[in-house]
Amino acid sequence: MTSRFPLAHNRSRLWLVVALPVIGLAVLIAHLATVHAQAADQLTVYSPQTSYSVSLLDVKGLPYAGLVELLEPLGSIDARPDGKKYKLKFTSPGGRAVEALFNEGKDKAKILGQNYKLPANFVLQNGRGYVPLSSVSEILNKLLAKPIQMHASARRLFIGDVPIRFTLDLDKSNPPKLVVSFPSPVNPTIATEPGRVRFTFRREPVVSNGQDSPNFDDPAITGAVFAERDGLAELDVMATEPLVASFADGGKTIILAPVPPPPQVTTLPAPQLQIPAQILTPQPKTPAGPRFLVVIDPAHGGADSGAAITSSLLEKDVVLALARRVQRELASRSIAAGMLRNSDVAISLDQRAVSVNAARPALYVTLHAANTGRGVHVFTSLLPPTSQPRDGFLPWDTAQATFLDLSGSVAGSVAAELEARKLPNTTLVAPLRPMNNIAAPAIAVEMAPPDDNVDNIASAEYQEQVAQSIAAGIAAVRSKLPEVRP
Amino acid sequence: MTRRILVMLAILAVIAVALGFYALHLKRRVARDEQAAAEQIALTPLGNGPPEPVTLYVANDSDGTLRKTQLSVALPVERSERARAVLRTLMAQYLKSPSPHPIGPASDVRSVYLLGEDSAVVDTNSAFADAHPSGVLAEELTLASLVVTLNANDSKIARVKILVNGQERDTLAGHADLKRFYEASNIGQVVKDMQ
Repeated sequence: MTSRFPLAHNRSRLWLVVALPVIGLAVLIAHLATVHAQAADQLTVYSPQTSYSVSLLDVKGLPYAGLVELLEPLGSIDARPDGKKYKLKFTSPGGRAVEALFNEGKDKAKILGQNYKLPANFVLQNGRGYVPLSSVSEILNKLLAKPIQMHASARRLFIGDVPIRFTLDLDKSNPPKLVVSFPSPVNPTIATEPGRVRFTFRREPVVSNGQDSPNFDDPAITGAVFAERDGLAELDVMATEPLVASFADGGKTIILAPVPPPPQVTTLPAPQLQIPAQILTPQPKTPAGPRFLVVIDPAHGGADSGAAITSSLLEKDVVLALARRVQRELASRSIAAGMLRNSDVAISLDQRAVSVNAARPALYVTLHAANTGRGVHVFTSLLPPTSQPRDGFLPWDTAQATFLDLSGSVAGSVAAELEARKLPNTTLVAPLRPMNNIAAPAIAVEMAPPDDNVDNIASAEYQEQVAQSIAAGIAAVRSKLPEVRP
Repeated sequence: MTRRILVMLAILAVIAVALGFYALHLKRRVARDEQAAAEQIALTPLGNGPPEPVTLYVANDSDGTLRKTQLSVALPVERSERARAVLRTLMAQYLKSPSPHPIGPASDVRSVYLLGEDSAVVDTNSAFADAHPSGVLAEELTLASLVVTLNANDSKIARVKILVNGQERDTLAGHADLKRFYEASNIGQVVKDMQ
């Protein structure tokens, strides 16, 4: 069908009109502008409550950290740009509210009413405030009133007395054993390379014990090297033979020893038995008892921004903030909760379902946000219910069908808590991915603005009420949900 | 900074401001023309026969419901073309300004394919999915309104699948599952729950 409107003509004029000044200004900016910002690396933050990563910006060659990203996992934060000013109000759990004021393009700030000079200018980008990384320790120290340690070159920041120091003890008996002891359980990723075993600590605040590269006077286990870099810590154990690692003492101890020789084969002509050059077999763990775990899935992330709530407010950021609040509220009710993502990373829908099913949670909660409608929408899967037993294999596309009764109980309980807090809410079924693939009770919560002002979706008070409702709703039906053996 | 650069900056700033106003004016005009063109596409008469009553389930964002309404529309005789005409009539409601449930400008139904007696595959254009507002409820309302409207006007259509530009997609706009057939009876229950 032919349009009667001169769209193409107007469009080309519009492009020309926009392009001309943009090109002109871009040339000038290339000569005169001094600030350029681009995505850089990450800072890992360790606190007594949680560990998380914060993306850093490169501004004029200096790393900058976002204030909201830094503070959000640690308490309640309300931060909004107001013209060139950036006002921030932070309340740590059980603490009092503290305030700070920054000015775009200026190095002068006020923290708790006191003047503070930043080492470089404050940057405001897309409604988010960024401070130089070198000032983060001091700013957090003032806002949190806790000692802060920054390992700047390693991009690691420690809040409070969280660093874990390990000890290395070599038992030179035959075969030799290297015992690595930690004050609390650790769960490193383990990799073997010719001549060494590498332990990588991403979430644990493991730091040097004062001796970074000890040498052992042993022909099999010759030494170890500890290093911190790129927001993680690595411990390499050097060996001339393949080593086997086993965990003991509830994850507080790792024992490394040479692989035992293969058993002698006597009944058959001896084949050429080959031991792999690198072998690593964690000792079978003793079966753990049932546990109640909630997996929180802040939807979207990375290039998938989700809905544009406003021009500067994206669904992926709103739901991450809400997820952290829900996790805190659950923790305050003694309910363990894991987050599918705790930073701005992309995870595919199928990956989400696989990760959740592998974690075998008692409940899956996916969080969404939208600017349509009012209040909170609580969803369960649109699948028709089935009487298929829950144990055994479930069809991927309809795995959720067998859990619909339990999912409905949780949705009803959360809706009741929202109602109790006088938050507008609706309970519906929805064809939402990846809920159908989840082999556990599952709900989706979509948070819309509480009133006609869309910006209020980011209000700390509103989000806190929604988070409390979700956590209280889950706690109320906890006894109905089966605890799951990990 | 030399005087010459300052003068050049000042001139460029004046030009930028003037062109900015003109760009804003053109942008508004383009948006208005697009809206009018989209309405023109969707509101174009669809069939040659006499007007017939068509039942539409129109989504409403303000209260998250589907409202049943009836219109008189001239429909084609062939069954899949009738189904397409019904859905285009529904989309025309969403493309109007003000809209009870805005969808992307120039959204359209390219074809409706009938598989056997009871299944329909609705092929929408790229504008429908690419510019659809993102949100669980917003996307569900659109899907539900398409499915129950089809079923209300052709009761034999019990299962509906949505394609975008002839291709299968994971989701409509990041949330609602487009990989599956939707049962009209199942969606009908959702509509009742929404009331």
